[in-house]
This record gives sequence, structure tokens and C-alpha cells, in this order.
Amino acid sequence: MKEVTKIQELVYELRMRDVMRKDVISVSPDMQMGRLRELFKTKRISGTPVVDGGGLVGIVSIEDFIKWLSGGGGECRISEKMTRRVETFYDDEALVHALTKMERSGYGRFPIIDRQTGGMCGIVTKGNIIEGLLKKIEIDYHEEEVRKYRASHIFEDIRADKSTLICQYRIAGRKLTEAGETASGLKTTLKRLGFHPDIVRRSAIIAYEAETNVIIYAKEGKMIVKVEPAEIYMKVEDKGPGIPDVEKVLEPGFSTAPDWVRELGFGAGMGLPNIKKCSDRMVLNSTVGKGTCLEATVVIGPTR
Amino acid sequence: MKLREICEILEADIVHGEDPDREIDKVGAADLMSDVLTHSTRGSLLLTGLTNSQVIRTAEMSDIEAVCFVRGKRPQAGVIKLGEEMGIPVLVTRFSMYEACGKLYMKGLRGCEHN
Amino acid sequence: MKLQKLIERMDLEVRSGRGAPDVEIRRGYVSDLLSDVIAHAQEAELWITLQTHVNIVAVASMKGLAGIILVQGREPERATVERAEKEKVPILVTKLPAYEMAGKLYDLLNAEKG
Repeated sequence: MKEVTKIQELVYELRMRDVMRKDVISVSPDMQMGRLRELFKTKRISGTPVVDGGGLVGIVSIEDFIKWLSGGGGECRISEKMTRRVETFYDDEALVHALTKMERSGYGRFPIIDRQTGGMCGIVTKGNIIEGLLKKIEIDYHEEEVRKYRASHIFEDIRADKSTLICQYRIAGRKLTEAGETASGLKTTLKRLGFHPDIVRRSAIIAYEAETNVIIYAKEGKMIVKVEPAEIYMKVEDKGPGIPDVEKVLEPGFSTAPDWVRELGFGAGMGLPNIKKCSDRMVLNSTVGKGTCLEATVVIGPTR
Repeated sequence: MKLREICEILEADIVHGEDPDREIDKVGAADLMSDVLTHSTRGSLLLTGLTNSQVIRTAEMSDIEAVCFVRGKRPQAGVIKLGEEMGIPVLVTRFSMYEACGKLYMKGLRGCEHN
Repeated sequence: MKLQKLIERMDLEVRSGRGAPDVEIRRGYVSDLLSDVIAHAQEAELWITLQTHVNIVAVASMKGLAGIILVQGREPERATVERAEKEKVPILVTKLPAYEMAGKLYDLLNAEKG
């Protein structure tokens, strides 16, 4: 029963323009009836508006075509067989009007008129309506799922002057071809926490590049992520060989990566500059022979 | 343009991918995944000559809509499976990267901008 | 199409031009992986890449490529230019990404074939 109510709601909520087919194929009233066979077949449609000098003059459907065929199928123009009284709707009208009209009149398709320009901007069939409804239901369910996980609620629910969510990831003993699991985990987490896609993408890219660096140069390390309502702070530490010249590695194109890394699509000297670009604050500390520590912060503010 | 139309243009097989009606509005061609990560690739198709799992990971991180491997290179099962888990359709075309770019460009699809 | 004509048509910037004008381009080749170019690129193809490292010149020269176009405004390293001048490998630069550069080249070469 819930499904039915949902669809009943949607037919009032959705507008013609949300479901209509925009690339409308139309024909001229002077075209021969016989040519419809090919058109209907190749375009997989069952009816089309008839347009003369930009204006809508009728509609011709597969029913009209069959009627013409059974009447002998003699040479004649579309204007003689088309339905002249065309029901149309405006693009901003609710779907329910088209459905009601379909039920009462038996018409299968309605040209849609742009209320601003007065010109035809689309067509709506039963198929379009069903497709549009299904898509909308899918999107709604998806959004509901995301909402279920939204941790902005968590932050709202926690009574404290400051609250922080800490996630730890171990980056260890993997091959380069397996790099990305840490970043993937963080990305899923941030998405579920309901952060804006741009914030999620930037944080994921920082984590991914940093994780790849650890795997290439240091073999193992760890990432700590502190999530707060106002910012995401990431700290990636390793006990690798360290970076001799921290300034130099931030220059685009500078790389010490061996060839096997380059052949895997990394090590072109874009990683750290890209991390810097994706973060609002970045600090890189390294001691040769001891290891490297990268801190990057993404501030949650107006999106870039 | 729908993924389905892209498959037709590239004569590509969808190795896996449940939704051929996805909208693709731009294309990137790259073998260097770090380079991909510096572009705004949301809603794009990635053409690449690499066939390792890094391609799928990169696509996942940067919200790429679908991935197409060129020159008939079929990735290993693990890569396809990762694509499936991440919900990223995987295509294979027999065309070279150059030809794939040319054919899609001629149909009006444009490139990705730098971030 | 002659490389010189492409340079004019697409406003490409020349970083190493010795021997460039008369080279004939057969088609493009897009790749950033040297091993891939060594294995699959063919003579008279114009190599579209992001790689600026000096090794690209050796690869282009060995495969008899028409030249190298660096995309996204990448500049060749100095050693790369020196090597290219010596080996007469044209190096050009464009601001376009690889996809659009390849697309435009494909379009131009197609139009020429008619």
C-alpha cells in the first residue's frame, strides 16, 4: 500500500518536463503515409506530432497508420489521416493531468508546450511517465539511504563544545596495484556522513595520493582522520626513507619514482602538488632515514 | 550522451555495467592516474591504456561515470569485479586511444577541465 | 598532412623544430606509457603525451614518429629539448588536454582525406 501512496504523491509532484522526451521527432503534413512505417520502425516510436511551419497541426499514431493500411494503403499525405484535435499540456503541469486525460480519452501521447515560448518542447507517452516515476522512486530511495547515515545528525546530537570523530587506517604491506583501499574506506565514510560531494572528492584524492606514496616509498604507514563539522584533518605518517628536499617534491613534474611505478600510471610528479591543491592547509615534514609526515586539512565552507 | 550510444560509437562491449542509460557529458584520455585526479571528472568517461585496478580506484575517487579500456585490452577478473563493487561500468573497445578520442570528439563530446 | 600545416592550423607552439616542416603525419598516437609506445606506435604517427622526460625523444626517434605534442601546456625539460634538437624530433606544445588534441587531429586528418 505504501508504494501506491508514494506513486500517487509523485504524479502530483512530478511535472511534464521531468519525464517528457525532449528530442521529439516530428513530421510534415505533406509527407506520404507510407513513409511512417520506416520512421516508426527505426525510431521505435508509435506516434509523432505533425508540424507545419513550426506550428503543431496534428498528431499521427500507429493506429492511424494501421487504419490507413487496412483501408488499402493508397498514396496519400499525412495531413489527410492525422488526428487534428490535439490535446497538449504545458511543461510545468503535473503528470496527473496527462494520466487522467489518457484514461478518459484513450489518447496515447501528448505534445508538451513550453509555457514561456509557446513552442513544442517535448512529448509525453505512458512509457515516459512510467520511466520517470521509476527513476524518481529510485532516486528517492537512494537519498533516503544516505539520510539514514547522515552523521551531521550525530554532530547535532552530541552535547559538547567541540566534537570530533577519529578514524584510523593502517597502510601496510600491500602491492601498489592494491593501493586505494584506505582512500576508498574514507570516501565511503565521508559520503555516509553526508558531506558535500566536492569535500568528499577532495579528501578522497588527498588520501589516495598519500596512500600511494606510502606504498611506493615506505611500504607501510598509518593515516589518522579527524572529522569535525567544520573541517576534515588527515595525517599520514610513515617510517620510510624520508624526503631530502621537501620544497622540490612540491614542484609539479618532479619525481624520483622508478620506472615500474611510472608504468603503473603513477610517479609522474603530480601527487604532492595535487594533494596541496586539494587541501586548504598542508604541512609536509620529513627527516631522511626516519620517515615522513603529511598533514592536510579540508575546510568545510562554501564549496570551491 | 548516454553510455549506450558511446558503446555504439566505440563498438565497445560492456564488460559489466548495469545501467547503459547513464549520462556521460565529457571525456578524458589518460594513462597517468595522478593526472586524472587533477581534473574535474564528475560525470565523465575515462579512456585509458592501463588495465590495472588503479584505474577503477581513480575513477572511484574522482566520481568518474564509466571507464573504457582501449586497444581491446581486457582487464583481469579482479579489476572487473572491483568495478562492479564500485558501481563503475567497464567497457572495452578494439580502437586505439587515438581513434577512440577521434570518434567521440567528432560526435561532439568535449574534454575535462583542470581543477 | 604536413606537420607545418598542423602547427599553423592548431596554433601549436614549437619547442624543438628542426626538421619539422616537411614531416608527414599519418595519424596520432595517444599514450603516456613509454613501454606502450615502444610496443605499439607506428612510423609517422604523432605522439600525444604528458610525459616531458628526456626518454620520450629516444622513443620517438627509435620508432620513427612524426613528432611529439605535449598537452595541457606541459613544458619539456631542458635536456629533452637539447636531445630533440640533436635527433631532429619535433616537439610541440598545446594547452589542450590529450583527448581534445587527439579529437581535433582526427577531425583534421579525416577532413583532408575527404
